Amino acid sequence: MANDPLLKVEDLHVYYGASHVLHGVTLEAGTEPLSIVGRNGMGKSTLCQAIMGLVPSARGTVHLGGERISGRRAYKVARAGVGYVPQGRRVFPSLTVDEHLRLVGKPDGEWTVERIYETFPRLAERRKNGGGALSGGEQQMLAISRALLLNPRLLVMDEPTEGLAPVIVDHVVEVLREIGRSGVGLLLVEQNLTVATEVSERIMVMMNGGIALETNADALLNDRALRNRYLGVSAEA
Amino acid sequence: MMESFAEINWRLFAIVTLNGLTLASLYFIVASGFSLIFGLMRVVNMAHGSLYLLGAYVGFEVTEATESWLLGILAAGVVVAAAGAALQVSILSWMQGQDLRQALATIGVSIVAADLMLAHWGGSAYQITLPTAMSSFVPVPVAGRYAMARLMLIGFALLIGVGLWLMLNRTRLGMVIRAGVDDRRMLEATGVNVPLVFVGVFAIGASLAGMAGVIGGTVLSVSPGEDARYLLSSLIVVIVGGMGSIPGAAIGALLVAMAETYGLAYTPTYGIVYTFAIMVAVLAVRPQGLLGRSA
Repeated sequence: MANDPLLKVEDLHVYYGASHVLHGVTLEAGTEPLSIVGRNGMGKSTLCQAIMGLVPSARGTVHLGGERISGRRAYKVARAGVGYVPQGRRVFPSLTVDEHLRLVGKPDGEWTVERIYETFPRLAERRKNGGGALSGGEQQMLAISRALLLNPRLLVMDEPTEGLAPVIVDHVVEVLREIGRSGVGLLLVEQNLTVATEVSERIMVMMNGGIALETNADALLNDRALRNRYLGVSAEA
Repeated sequence: MMESFAEINWRLFAIVTLNGLTLASLYFIVASGFSLIFGLMRVVNMAHGSLYLLGAYVGFEVTEATESWLLGILAAGVVVAAAGAALQVSILSWMQGQDLRQALATIGVSIVAADLMLAHWGGSAYQITLPTAMSSFVPVPVAGRYAMARLMLIGFALLIGVGLWLMLNRTRLGMVIRAGVDDRRMLEATGVNVPLVFVGVFAIGASLAGMAGVIGGTVLSVSPGEDARYLLSSLIVVIVGGMGSIPGAAIGALLVAMAETYGLAYTPTYGIVYTFAIMVAVLAVRPQGLLGRSA
């Protein structure tokens, strides 16, 4: 068990009806952050949801620290130690900030509601506000906090900087690096290459529902041809 | 019209109003359970009327056997909660997320349940007897005298309304239910055992229908066909008030019951039309219902 990687995905296939979205994804990740980049529609979000147990996989397995989590319901995956920060943040409009945190928070464990408020003072100021009344940046902090309060071993984050103002993006990057240093595994799906390369050294590129390439931050940033081939975008975009 | 307006019968008006409030209370208790279930699970439970009727029969049997009305309503609440939980576990959980299939399956359940209940309790009407202390009449201003049991029904509905509000807004279960109404899948991804919450909420909603059955069987009567009647009223109430909203169910119940009662008292020929006129008007102007959220 001790030598098992934190996350191990093997030959994972997912179908939406007749369309084959994930074509045998295989990857391993330890406690060092891993970013997955790729164009729209390449299956990045589906990969996150399949790991989380939110979409059924037709074939293949997912293991967390040697324990099989594929085929389980999402709440069991969450309890096994996977925190999920979904695309679009998906905070609950009917719950206040404080209720979000108390819903997930436990009195013991590394992350408690008090520690969240110390880490994100902005959330403490807005504790009585409804989830729908928050700005995009505040919602993102709340979505990250909601996942951290599970005291996860692995955080799966789907486009956490999407639609945020640049100054807020910098703050999110800061938080992600902090989480990465704290020993929590981080699987980051990003369209924003700058964010991906700032958060993790190890980068994978997804294309057509599979991992097309594993590289590192420097290679991706310095090789324009590579970026054009796999991403069709530039780092500045 | 003008002379009848001048010599309006205030006593009749007061009694009709109280009758309307009584009916609204009954509609609210049935429909709040229906709405709670729909709000969280998106299940249009077409067997909700059957749960009402089952509660009424169970309440009747237990009250007859023990001569305690309170035991009757408690037994109905518990038995029907178990029936609702069984419905969710054995049938609906296998087709989670398939709204139409679930609605059709519950129609099937309601047809089978109606025949089983007819076979067991027969076609005659029963009335659940109240303890003598509650079956008296009390003086009421303007109306003169009014049945104690009916006033208690209004109080009971208020109690249930306040209880549901407190449960939804002040308890952990309420927090989980509100989050689930917003986004069930995200709720599950935070580690909440959503399938178990579904069973619990189905039991609570069913239990409300069951207890309403005992109340309805006390102030009105129990007979075959009541299941369809209360299913229809629940549907109209939540369509008017807004699917999944408890305050919406209260407003919807009040509007529908008042229209029905005033209509029957003052314009008997058209009594039934008003209910549907309200529904059509709401659907035309605000299709999500008065307090509903757009999907």
